[in-house]
Amino acid sequence: MLLDPRHAWMRRLAAFALLLAVWEAAGRADLLNPIYAPSPSRVGAALVDLFADGRIWPHLDATFTAALGGLALGIAVGVLLGVAAALVPLIAELLEPVMSVLNAIPRVILAPLFVIWLGIGLASKVALSFILVAVLIFFTVFTGIRQVDRRLVERVITLGGDRWALVRHVYLPSVTAWVLGNLKIAVGFAFTGACVGEFVAATHGLGYLLSFAQSTYNAALMFALILLILIVVLLIFGIAGRLEKYLLRWN
Amino acid sequence: MIGLQQPLLGTVETALTRSQIGILFQDDALLPWKTARDNVALGLIFGGMERSKALAEAEAWLARLDLAGFGDRFPRHLSGGQRKRVALAQVLAMQPKLILMDEPFASLDAIVGARVVRDVVALVEREGISVLLVTHDLEEAISLSDDVYLLSQGPRARITQHYRVPIPRPRDPVHSRTHPAFAPLYERLWPDLSHEVDHRAEAA
Repeated sequence: MLLDPRHAWMRRLAAFALLLAVWEAAGRADLLNPIYAPSPSRVGAALVDLFADGRIWPHLDATFTAALGGLALGIAVGVLLGVAAALVPLIAELLEPVMSVLNAIPRVILAPLFVIWLGIGLASKVALSFILVAVLIFFTVFTGIRQVDRRLVERVITLGGDRWALVRHVYLPSVTAWVLGNLKIAVGFAFTGACVGEFVAATHGLGYLLSFAQSTYNAALMFALILLILIVVLLIFGIAGRLEKYLLRWN
Repeated sequence: MIGLQQPLLGTVETALTRSQIGILFQDDALLPWKTARDNVALGLIFGGMERSKALAEAEAWLARLDLAGFGDRFPRHLSGGQRKRVALAQVLAMQPKLILMDEPFASLDAIVGARVVRDVVALVEREGISVLLVTHDLEEAISLSDDVYLLSQGPRARITQHYRVPIPRPRDPVHSRTHPAFAPLYERLWPDLSHEVDHRAEAA
């Protein structure tokens, strides 16, 4: 059978709707235990509830602040260290093994350590987001700069450009391109850091609510929260995608 | 000659300053994130020209190279021939006295290449610019040059022969191939060049 690729999203939507319908029907026919798999309507109601009484806002606020703070700090420090390591061999020599180890381990295992160091407030979540993002961006920039097209460097030199011109017209745009290319992954990492941090120990945040839902066996709330986090991340993906498209319009 | 590499032995002497020498490589090496106009203006801005003035100057050079209206395009959105013209405008905008060219037309297909070459010859003759062209294309060497120097196979390449090309200027690079002086010179150069190539085959 030939599939018209233009209608792919319609087929996906139809399949998803069908799945939800079967799920809902199974739930109403008492084939599913609502404690484990609440029907879509219950999940929807739980989601509406969260917004209806307004108690979700401080939690959304906490998670967003932690994720975006960690993202911004992580990108800034990752770029800075990446550039420094690419330009100064001594820094690369000292930094690369540390970063490689940090890159190899699942960095979320640092969450309890950050709680001990920074407390159960915002700072420990920002720190976890930060460490997840910074290592990713460091390697993006570090390997990127070493692969800068030599011909472009020579071109700028032969046109009379100095070191600063090289940084401004060759290295910086290259770095921007690589960072933007990894921006979506970085956004995902940032929210992972925030939510896991809140899961471990917190008083606010979507991760904290998830852990609360777990301890009270409230599957409907859990599904609603997972759905909410999904929507939030997709929304930010959309923004990141637009930013990428605009800034990389030369590509 | 431009300091990208240091000579192993001896020195390089030119009567020109570094900024009076332009270079055109085989690949165009334009900055992909800058528009055609920004690319052309780059050298002028490095030279200290005010940005707005440099951009106006760049636009004028693009127009002279048949690229009026393409200033806002990024290199990715230009054809190979157009990119070559942008690279050329970038070099010409610096108003060099000498342009070094390393097989600049090798990557272009025949018709596009011939047109770019024709425009280059016309501009270079009009502006009184000298060109040092490195090529493996014998016809190109004769039809474009006043003097042809044959280099021996490297390493340690040296000038082994010098030929004068008695075809008058201004020239049309296509028509100069049918000039009476073209064929005899080609007949002389061909065996010498073949000899060098054979020489390398033996060495290998």
